[in-house]
Amino acid sequence: MQHFALEQALNYLIQTGEIDLKPLDNKTIRFSLQDLPLDVNFVCTNDRIFVISDTNRNSDVDISLGASVFFALFKGEDLTDLLRQDKIVIHGDVKTAQLLVDLLQTVDIDLEEVLSQYTGDIVAHKAGKIAKNFKKIAQKSSNPLDAIKDGLSALLITPTVSKLYKKDRH
Amino acid sequence: MNNTTHFGFKDVATEDKQNLVKGVFDSVASKYDLMNDVLSFGAHRLWKRYTIASSNVKIGDKVLDIAGGTGDLAISFRKKVGESGHVILSDINAAMLGEGRKNLINKGVFGVDFVQLNAQYLPFADNSFDCVSIAFGLRNVTDKDQALSEMYRILKPGGCLLILEFSKTDSEFLKKFYDFYSFNVMPTLGEIIADDKESYQYLAESIRKHPDQETLKDMVLNAGFGFCEYHNLSGGIVALHKGIKV
Repeated sequence: MQHFALEQALNYLIQTGEIDLKPLDNKTIRFSLQDLPLDVNFVCTNDRIFVISDTNRNSDVDISLGASVFFALFKGEDLTDLLRQDKIVIHGDVKTAQLLVDLLQTVDIDLEEVLSQYTGDIVAHKAGKIAKNFKKIAQKSSNPLDAIKDGLSALLITPTVSKLYKKDRH
Repeated sequence: MNNTTHFGFKDVATEDKQNLVKGVFDSVASKYDLMNDVLSFGAHRLWKRYTIASSNVKIGDKVLDIAGGTGDLAISFRKKVGESGHVILSDINAAMLGEGRKNLINKGVFGVDFVQLNAQYLPFADNSFDCVSIAFGLRNVTDKDQALSEMYRILKPGGCLLILEFSKTDSEFLKKFYDFYSFNVMPTLGEIIADDKESYQYLAESIRKHPDQETLKDMVLNAGFGFCEYHNLSGGIVALHKGIKV
């Protein structure tokens, strides 16, 4: 559900903000927040971002940082300064990381709102946050009813990502 | 290819499966949507909505819906791609495609092309679609690996494959309930509503014969996709596999 919401939010913002993803084309960025259960891969391709939980492929760059650093980065903090202060760990192509940061700083998104879904323990709390997020997207969307319906559908069918599945081999 | 394959729980000659499946869908076409609503308590609409929302399809995209039947995915894709996009609704079964065409006209949806095709032999150029979807259709395909290779071939780099299909739940309670429901209630409802018990018996059996989530994920990766992830929906009764061509 969280991946779904994150992917929806990012692609919505990329489309409505007319953000050029070409510089990140075919790049895979592993992104983890140290103090939140958020560890995802952003696969940038075909002018959109897919949010994938696990992959056998090597990413172009691994970015690991604390949530507060992330929000600072998002609000315009300089990547090089944060690297110098050891507040952010980057393995791999730093240029790709810089491109992602540039992109995130371009979009007008209340990311704390999106990421707050990862912090809640109580389902109802999560649902409320997610619904709030969809409401927010819906308010900006040209088709608000559709955005709300998408969010509610996802809540009702409780999607879970693949690595939780246990194989039945009878 | 092996000389035999499964048709529900029966082993049949590989070359016969296509006609047997055709018989099932010829029989259920006119009541297909009604039966889906009744048998899934309307949940199929939520599963499909989630599939569309997960597609990341946008204005101007080219989308192929395989085994698209009565066209509910195609209708939603059509709205997403806009006037500059292109949606093709395809099915191997003429009766189902006819129902789809009727349904789209009744709903005032135009600009969708209809193609009768076999998923194993897609009559399209390489690298030509942004998204290929198949909802509740892959389990009826005789050679699934070949069909997945074809889907891979026609997708553009960065294109997305969506497979929505019944799958395996890992909840013991849900499994017991689901077994009872699908082998007892579904065929009976099929007999009452669609006057066709056998087709719904096949439906239940074909779900059990379909590869589980991990196996299908491996099949998608083996077809060449760079990434594949699945989401279990409604406890794993249904799973959405998403493959990305890199």
